[in-house]
Amino acid sequence: MAERLIPSVVTSAELLNRLERSQDVFVIDVRSRDEFERLHIEGRSPLPAFNVPYFEMLELGGKDDMIDSVEAYAERELKEKLPTDKQILTVCAKGDTSSYVAQALTRLGYSCANLEGGMKAWGEYYATHTIVEEPDLSIYQISRPARGCLSYVVASSGSAIVIDPLRHVHHYTELAREKNLKIETVIDTHGHADHISGGVELAARSRASYYLHPYDAIHPIDVLPATIDYEYIANDRVFRSGSRELRTIHIPGHTLGVIALALDDRFLFTGDSIFIRSIARPDLGGKAETWAPLHARSLRKLLALNGRIKVLPGHFSSLAEADSSGRFVASLDELKRTNDGLVVLQRDTEEGFVRYLVESLPRFVPEYVDIKRVNAGLLSADEESAAALETGKNVCALSQAYAARAGATP
Amino acid sequence: MSQTFDQVFDARGLNCPMPLVNARKEIGKLEPGQILKVMATDRGSVADFQGWAKIAKNVELVAQENESIDGATVYVHFIKRTV
Repeated sequence: MAERLIPSVVTSAELLNRLERSQDVFVIDVRSRDEFERLHIEGRSPLPAFNVPYFEMLELGGKDDMIDSVEAYAERELKEKLPTDKQILTVCAKGDTSSYVAQALTRLGYSCANLEGGMKAWGEYYATHTIVEEPDLSIYQISRPARGCLSYVVASSGSAIVIDPLRHVHHYTELAREKNLKIETVIDTHGHADHISGGVELAARSRASYYLHPYDAIHPIDVLPATIDYEYIANDRVFRSGSRELRTIHIPGHTLGVIALALDDRFLFTGDSIFIRSIARPDLGGKAETWAPLHARSLRKLLALNGRIKVLPGHFSSLAEADSSGRFVASLDELKRTNDGLVVLQRDTEEGFVRYLVESLPRFVPEYVDIKRVNAGLLSADEESAAALETGKNVCALSQAYAARAGATP
Repeated sequence: MSQTFDQVFDARGLNCPMPLVNARKEIGKLEPGQILKVMATDRGSVADFQGWAKIAKNVELVAQENESIDGATVYVHFIKRTV
């Protein structure tokens, strides 16, 4: 038996760092093809990768020992496919199986690193980027990179507002402790469909108030009222954090109760309306054609704001939307020129824009109906079922912008 | 009607890929036609046994079920050695 070599390990934080800097990462993902389809590691541009389930390598390698089998399989089948000039990242569900694969490939002389904790760890990894840190105003963008979800902590004079917190709320309480902030207000910009909100739990843990627009406290498909504790967001509500104010702008379209929050003429938290490259889909309530004209009018309302205002969206669909430091932020003026949905909105009639919306709808994700139920308190989910509902990357944006770009990629 | 079997392999507590790696060794000890019952606590084993049985030439996945033992879910796979 050959000696056991210990391959190097890459953490989720290190992986994000590499992906943000567009450093070449070659991925071999040994989960089943279904799991790979649902969620895989993506960079600023498509990554060189391939997917071979570990049980195929084991069976076709034909040995009793996992490492021996992978070695035999790789020598026979993967020689032409694996790069010798760059590091190979091995990936599986939880990081154990891919470590055997990394050992086998290391034994064959390849440079290999194993993703620690696998896709589970990557899917649950949160990153914090500073948008601004001034004497009396801090804004942090907290993302779940694998899922494309963005949330925010806005703080002034030690008092913090958290916008759209994601499910693993300790990330926010830890940030608050580290920065010496008291979380006083928690806001969901809308009833989320793609992820389970951390809003209610974070508010309870921080003894803060939790706010939601009442229109989104009714499940759009069940037409049943939410059972969670929340305070109504009135359309003209102003939220205060220290010396700063966040002004509510009701922008129905993606949902009936979605709001944006404006901090002076400087920052605009757009929730699910304007993203960096695309705009939100209007069909998750099952009424695309009824809601699309509302969406058009709401987006026009946002376009009328000061063009220098910086948009901070609720989602991204690709790391390519990030700036060079990995932050998802751009001025409204810039987005008027570069965001596919906004370009069509400015150019077309309302009728034409509605047609564009309806024609650009991505697939409907069946889990989204249940996720909205969980967020409204109409369905309970333990850790395992919550994780199962939250698989894959969010599909809250219109797909056209990405389809067009993917098609143009050589 | 509950599934009959000839041998039991208890893979509870083992992480991926060991339930499958070891079950594959165990089934080699059976006679063709005999059935191995594999008990695992790794949820991923459900899809993995399905995928593996599709490509392994001497194995058929006869049945899969969930059992609750001492409050924990146990994923049970019945695999038959065919040749």
